[in-house]
Amino acid sequence: MAVMKRLDFIYCMTITYSEPVSNCHYTLKCVPADMDRQRIESLKIEVMPENYRSRGQDSFGNQMVYGTIEKAHDVFSCRVCGTAVTGCADSNRQRKGELPGMYLNLRGLTAAGKELESYCGELAKKLAGRTDGTPYGQAVKLMQCLYEDFRYEKNCTNVTTTSEDAWRLKRGVCQDYAHILISLCRMNRIPARYAAGFMLGEGESHAWVEVLWEGKWYGLDPTNNQLVNEDYIYVGIGRDAADCALNRGIVVGGGQQCQQVAVAVKEI
Amino acid sequence: MYDMDLLKHTDTVNELLARYGVKFGIYKNNQFKEQMFPFDAIPRIIKKQEFDYLEKGLKQRVLALNYFLNDIYSEKKIVKDHVIPEDFIFASSGYLAECDGVQPIKGIYPHISGIDLVQGKNGNWYILEDNLRVPSGASYPMIARDLCRRSSPETFQKFHLEDNRNYAELLRKTIDYVNAGGHTVILTPGRCNAAYFEHSYLAEKTGAHLVSGADLKVVDDKLYYINYAGELERVGAVYRRISDEYLDPMNFNPESVIGIPHIYDVYRKGNVALLNAPGNGIADDKGIYYFVPKMIRYYLGEEPVLSNAPTYLPFYEEDMKYVLEHFDELVLKDVAEAGGYGVVFGSSMTKEEKERFVALLKAEPRRFIAQEVIDFCDIDIMEGDEVVARKADLRAFVLMADEPMVWKSGLTRFSRNPDSFIVNSSQGGGFKDTWVLFQ
Repeated sequence: MAVMKRLDFIYCMTITYSEPVSNCHYTLKCVPADMDRQRIESLKIEVMPENYRSRGQDSFGNQMVYGTIEKAHDVFSCRVCGTAVTGCADSNRQRKGELPGMYLNLRGLTAAGKELESYCGELAKKLAGRTDGTPYGQAVKLMQCLYEDFRYEKNCTNVTTTSEDAWRLKRGVCQDYAHILISLCRMNRIPARYAAGFMLGEGESHAWVEVLWEGKWYGLDPTNNQLVNEDYIYVGIGRDAADCALNRGIVVGGGQQCQQVAVAVKEI
Repeated sequence: MYDMDLLKHTDTVNELLARYGVKFGIYKNNQFKEQMFPFDAIPRIIKKQEFDYLEKGLKQRVLALNYFLNDIYSEKKIVKDHVIPEDFIFASSGYLAECDGVQPIKGIYPHISGIDLVQGKNGNWYILEDNLRVPSGASYPMIARDLCRRSSPETFQKFHLEDNRNYAELLRKTIDYVNAGGHTVILTPGRCNAAYFEHSYLAEKTGAHLVSGADLKVVDDKLYYINYAGELERVGAVYRRISDEYLDPMNFNPESVIGIPHIYDVYRKGNVALLNAPGNGIADDKGIYYFVPKMIRYYLGEEPVLSNAPTYLPFYEEDMKYVLEHFDELVLKDVAEAGGYGVVFGSSMTKEEKERFVALLKAEPRRFIAQEVIDFCDIDIMEGDEVVARKADLRAFVLMADEPMVWKSGLTRFSRNPDSFIVNSSQGGGFKDTWVLFQ
């Protein structure tokens, strides 16, 4: 059984506009919820300049906070804080009606191309006979290889970068690591999904991967080459990052925008 | 029959149709062109007994498809029971993950279905495709009938046929059945849509407001219509004539400017009915089409009344073998395409084209279906003063309120080109009224 931890978390996201926004629609998926692995003990959500009016849940079970602001503003911000108990289980169970096929297609941001396919072929040769034969064991090996062959570097990719594009660059951030590992898993017919959230000791939001094996989703963090443990707080899951973007919005006006995100997680 | 008084009025009816703006818009080479949808006055006549049989089969089919949609967006029993391979669901662009676990009001997905059929020379009817997204076409025979009755009232005294002008009533009943409280609106992408005439005509006939995205607004999980005074009036049902991906930029394609931000969130909470329900594209998938007879057996425990055109799935090894052996006798269809696009006849390909196609087929077997070319009956049309035979199909409309209702008429489309089997209006064909005799 995993060790349980009690983590205080705070997530702040601020968008500053160079010109006033007259109208804004937003959907935020930055609110952690109860899962097999974690329990949310307390939670506080604030949206500025007007607090949110609606809450809901998407088809992946992600929490949504959404609304429309019709008052002119040049700063939009959101703050989510609370306490999570983590390590309640070592995996998340497959839900009823959730079939692996949903997480096997190389679609959206996980669409692989020639380069990634040839990398996948190389890895197959390299790992032949070196895994324990389970999908989970294979995924762990793929993670280890990717960690060796890819470099962490900020500002060279963005939220629309596909796994193929990131792989061609050979560098990127946690989102890119996650997308590439998902593509590699799916090419090997291992159901894999994207997870977004927070991590103890990280100042920003984080992303990792879950693979399905015998009815349970296990977390792998390719950016840190480690298994997901009680230091992680899940916020969103999906087929790729687009399914669980922490914020999505449409604004009228605004000019140039600058987004800042700060995350703090500490053990109590 | 060709001395029928009505036929003398063909030109008058066509002129009136033009005056009423009965047009069909098509995009060709990135340009929007509106063209007349030529009307041929010789009706397609279906006898009561024959239509009763079609009605029975159509109701059964739509009922099974509705069970399928309810299942595939919840428990997915049909996949777990190995009736449909998982791949055919999740690899289809018609399956929307955003719809998983979201049940429409009263569990109805296909409020309005357009089922395309053809009649073979042997007299048998075959289902060609199911259109459960935004099928258009009902307005054309509706208005044509109206104008024909005016031009030649005696024809309609002589022949005893079902009045098809009740379509608006059926549609209204269908919409009211799921209305969540408030106005009914018809949402159009606007003037430049292929079926804009239909949107405005159905709005007029059903008494619904014809609106565009900018006329609607979401406030606190409810949908409102902004009236002429700028006040908000609650909307309970939206007969939307825009596709799923453009419906809500916050939940689907973020680039959409014709949708309504957050309308899908309102729907998710059950505060508005969307007709048809988002996610129906999976039922229109040509790969899924193959499985509809199996669905009928699986969900209803009945044998299908109406048959599919004989179809092969290259996904299955034995079918692939058959397709390669009988390539020249088959028609191949790309599962993701509609409107007569992505359809090729094996016999019409050159050697190189065929080789290229076979390579593609082997690389992406799930992407194609192959069908026997049905020798479907010709029907007569007027070409000047001459009567000539042309290929035609029938789009039947099935509306679903507490139970499925089949409209006793339908859109008969024909190909103007004597050598073509493709009758889609987006490919420049014409149309006829469909008469259902009541005895």
